[in-house]
Amino acid sequence: MAKQSKPSMSRALQRRENIAGYLFMLPSLIFFIGFVVIPMVICIFTSLTDMNMHDPGLFGNFVGLSNFTRLWQDTAFLAALKNTFIIVIVSVPTVCAFSLWVSSAIYRLKGPVLSAFRCIFYLPVVTGSVAVTVVWKWMYDNYTGIFNHVLKSAGLIEQNINWLGDPKFALWCIILILFTTSVGQPIVLYVSALGNVDTTLVEAAQVDGATDFQVFWKVKWAQMLPTTLYILVITTINSFQCFALIQLLTKGGAGTDTVMYRIYWTAFKLTEQAGHFGYANAMGVVLAIFIGLLSALQFKLAKEK
Amino acid sequence: MKMKKLIAAALAMAMALSLAACGGGGQTSTPGNNTSGSGSQTPAQSTPATPSGGTEISLWTYPIGDWGKEDKVKAITDAFTADTGITVKVEYLAYADGDDKVNSAITAENAPDLIMEGPERLVTNWGDKGYLVDLSDMIDDTDRSEINAAAMAACTHSNGSVYEYPLVITAHCMAINLNAFKEAGADQYLDLENHTWTTENFIKAVDALYAKYNAPVGAVFCKGQGGDQGTRALVNNLYGGTFATASHDKYTWDDPLNIKALEQLKSMKGIAFDASLEGGDEIKVFYQGVLKMAFCWNIAQQLNPNQADTGAGLTAGGDEIVFMGFPSESGKPALQGGIWGFGIFDNGDQAKIDAAKTFIKWMCDSEHTVDAVKTANYFAARSAAEGTDLSGIWADNEIMNEYQVLMPYLGDYYQVTTGWAGARTEWWNMLQEVGNGQDITTSVNTHVAAANALAAG
Repeated sequence: MAKQSKPSMSRALQRRENIAGYLFMLPSLIFFIGFVVIPMVICIFTSLTDMNMHDPGLFGNFVGLSNFTRLWQDTAFLAALKNTFIIVIVSVPTVCAFSLWVSSAIYRLKGPVLSAFRCIFYLPVVTGSVAVTVVWKWMYDNYTGIFNHVLKSAGLIEQNINWLGDPKFALWCIILILFTTSVGQPIVLYVSALGNVDTTLVEAAQVDGATDFQVFWKVKWAQMLPTTLYILVITTINSFQCFALIQLLTKGGAGTDTVMYRIYWTAFKLTEQAGHFGYANAMGVVLAIFIGLLSALQFKLAKEK
Repeated sequence: MKMKKLIAAALAMAMALSLAACGGGGQTSTPGNNTSGSGSQTPAQSTPATPSGGTEISLWTYPIGDWGKEDKVKAITDAFTADTGITVKVEYLAYADGDDKVNSAITAENAPDLIMEGPERLVTNWGDKGYLVDLSDMIDDTDRSEINAAAMAACTHSNGSVYEYPLVITAHCMAINLNAFKEAGADQYLDLENHTWTTENFIKAVDALYAKYNAPVGAVFCKGQGGDQGTRALVNNLYGGTFATASHDKYTWDDPLNIKALEQLKSMKGIAFDASLEGGDEIKVFYQGVLKMAFCWNIAQQLNPNQADTGAGLTAGGDEIVFMGFPSESGKPALQGGIWGFGIFDNGDQAKIDAAKTFIKWMCDSEHTVDAVKTANYFAARSAAEGTDLSGIWADNEIMNEYQVLMPYLGDYYQVTTGWAGARTEWWNMLQEVGNGQDITTSVNTHVAAANALAAG
């Protein structure tokens, strides 16, 4: 009897625990479904319509894939897509490489010094993006900015450089700010990952005559791959979704338009354009597909490694 | 197990995509997200009446003079409430994101009862789309005889409906730093009595200033649409080009005279095409004394440059600012007008619509109109209001009085041309291309074609 009642008690307990678990998840699940899943579904659906703010009806008329075909003939969108890819291609590797380098240099430091470095690099992350951007805007200012002042004082330039108004510089200025605000979290993660590397493996490799580079590449790097994958995916997504910097600094001008900014502009500024919501959502879907594909590629490469 | 893996993979994919797509999706599917104001208006709109029996209405106002300042607006709305029993809940919009908020509120069916802005938004955009109430029943023959004819025309839709009741008007102009002009010997090119100058003298003055300061002295700002009436007026006036047809159904800034003006400006060392500045930024740099002229100016700026409260008609360094008409070949500019007034959103509540009309009547056509106009710091859009003469209300203000010399130069109010929002975007994008050295004619033609395509729907 005892043997028969034990599994049934266990199942009941399991059921209670399951219910409790789901109840704990419920608040988050409601928000996730309400503010992420449902908007995503609406976004995908309305990208196939001519939805706009003026016509009656919630979703507009079904137009098939015409929004998507229009995108590939829209030079403004293609320019924004190109800029977005430049940001991702430049930003992601440099953020990863720089944060790994800094982490390698500081992770052996003692408590307070390490904390100080962590604070320094993490400060731009926790500081509001608007505050950070405004400070950068002052420094980049064409007429009174410190960069032009220093370069002119040093005799390196004769005329002021219009950092945020000249297409030769503007996108790179944006990437630089994005870089400074992106490296904080990877540095903290890498410092933590390096601290968790199994020292017995490192010592064994050193005893076997491995060079510092071999120790890093064959032992440490291999153990940090999950961290690297997370950093790559998060940095890629953040780079693809670069919006606030563009909005606050250039409004998409001087060759800095990105897909995220284009979505905003099409949806909320070009409200006289037919089907502007549907068209903007089509851009959002295309962006999501690119991010999904790139993230999947990163997962696949990391798995093979 | 296989099913579990599939579900796990699907969930993981959904989460990854949600991280990626929620930004894009959210922008369009929840337009009310960034409208804290709209949210706060909901209770007001759903409340039929205040306990005292008066109706509560909501007013959203752009920063039109001191109609963007809470203390000034509160004084006048409190007086209105005391007089009528109707309470007014005011929300203050900025030009940077005001349109976003209003558009989001319209989409969420949460629009305010009253809105204060110009015909380019009230008539061409929201009125044209059927969101606003026709106010023509508020305007009789006496009103039509009193209201400035150009303002009345701009506030009237092509279908005959009046979507804006005008309160104030002004003429947009430019400004110069007189001290800098004197130092460079360029003040000889100014007609300071009439506040006008010719294109030839403008070119000479810019050259003299550049020779003195060896840096750009004026900026064709083109970061965005903020203050873009200044750059349009500059280009149009230099050689007499037009921006749109008189019937306001097509954009004409591919006029060879405009192309000639752009080529002239591009060739001048003292003029920079600056994609890092908007109108407000340009004013700030001018106020700091860096630029020696500003193309985004009007009487509100003259009274309080850069809204810095450091003295009327003075830069931060104390240099004298003189307002000027835009240079033209004849010396007689065609200035872009500013017309501001009230529109009523049709939210389906007749009581609120009636209360909003009472508000408009009280502000725009009563003995209280003087206060409403003075709050805006512009000129009355009408000569008299219910027997109160409005023509001399600024007699006690020397600057306002002097500024009236520009009012006869008011030109066509072409901002009501169809497809205005898209055309503005095309304009500053075109200026950026010109600044980057692209072929001017090609760039102009491309963007005018795009603007007209948008206008055609």
